[in-house]
Amino acid sequence: MEKNNMPRVKVYSTSTCPWCTKTKEFLKENHIKFEEVNVGEDEKARNEMFDKSGQFGVPVIDVNGTIIVGFKKDVLKSALGI
Amino acid sequence: MHDTIIVGAGCAGLAAAMYAGRLGLKTLLIGENIGGTITLTDVVENYPGFVKLTGQELADNLKKHAEAYKIEKAEVKVTKISRNHNCFLVETNEGQTYQGKTIIFATGTEWRKLNVPGEMEFANKGVHYCALCDGAVYKNKVIALAGGGDSAAKEALLLSQFASKVIVLARGGKLRGEPINNQRVAQNPKIEVFTNVNIKKIVGDKIVKALVLDRPVRDNTTLNVDAVFIAIGHVALSQLAKDIGVKTDGKGEIIIDRESKTNIHDFLPQEMFATQSSSKR
Repeated sequence: MEKNNMPRVKVYSTSTCPWCTKTKEFLKENHIKFEEVNVGEDEKARNEMFDKSGQFGVPVIDVNGTIIVGFKKDVLKSALGI
Repeated sequence: MHDTIIVGAGCAGLAAAMYAGRLGLKTLLIGENIGGTITLTDVVENYPGFVKLTGQELADNLKKHAEAYKIEKAEVKVTKISRNHNCFLVETNEGQTYQGKTIIFATGTEWRKLNVPGEMEFANKGVHYCALCDGAVYKNKVIALAGGGDSAAKEALLLSQFASKVIVLARGGKLRGEPINNQRVAQNPKIEVFTNVNIKKIVGDKIVKALVLDRPVRDNTTLNVDAVFIAIGHVALSQLAKDIGVKTDGKGEIIIDRESKTNIHDFLPQEMFATQSSSKR
């Protein structure tokens, strides 16, 4: 993927969540840069996650505005175009 | 074609893969989450050989042991299993189809639901089933924990690390956890336990606001909470097996004989059979 076509990816996660860990490992394995926020520590980020996804389950992944709840590899691949 | 396809990659599936690998079978281990449900457990203190480790560490050890032998792995979800004239076909959510002479079902369990009004409506909006996954989202909030067994005790202890208060609501007359965990719950100043109480309804607007109970707690049948975590046991995930004619009991658990064979072990020629391996945390 061309650098200027890299998707904007934001991962809403907590420090204990196993699916969050898997999500971040998957992104790293596929060389996808992402911003990570800890909704267990950051109330503003927690509210932002709820506004975007309408729920409190983590991880929530924002790929260019497409909101994915949970680590769904096939959905994530499709959103990332990989 | 694989000699055996192990469906489910939790503790049981990883153990089966290790043995199949040692036996020199052409083995495929397939599951949505290599490590399975144990990876959603914070601390494991009752697995022989390990005094204390995380569920993820235990899964990593089992995975490493299985990988010491020649096995194949696929971290994808199995969506369908079918039979044709000489083998089983295993299809995945990513479009692959694998052929196996035998199937080992290690599909484990899923969380038992309360089946009360509001549970589905507020799923992930204050209703949760995994403290390790979502507990930290409720930092300094009031959390109820439905359940009275050992898993409930452990979940309450974990939630107390995040919440300002954890209110355990147990259906029975006392907690049925291991004495060591019951004691930890009793000594935890953040945890309050109520017994002989059932949740009748979960209410809120966009998110959970309160629980309606079948008896007063704190002089009221409505308990204001920010979330409720449910830990009332597990039910078998056996639909894939049922779909190919495998018999299950009243709980949906696969019926096996002394050699772990199901009722369709003689469907295929010699040495081709379906069998079950299951795990419980």
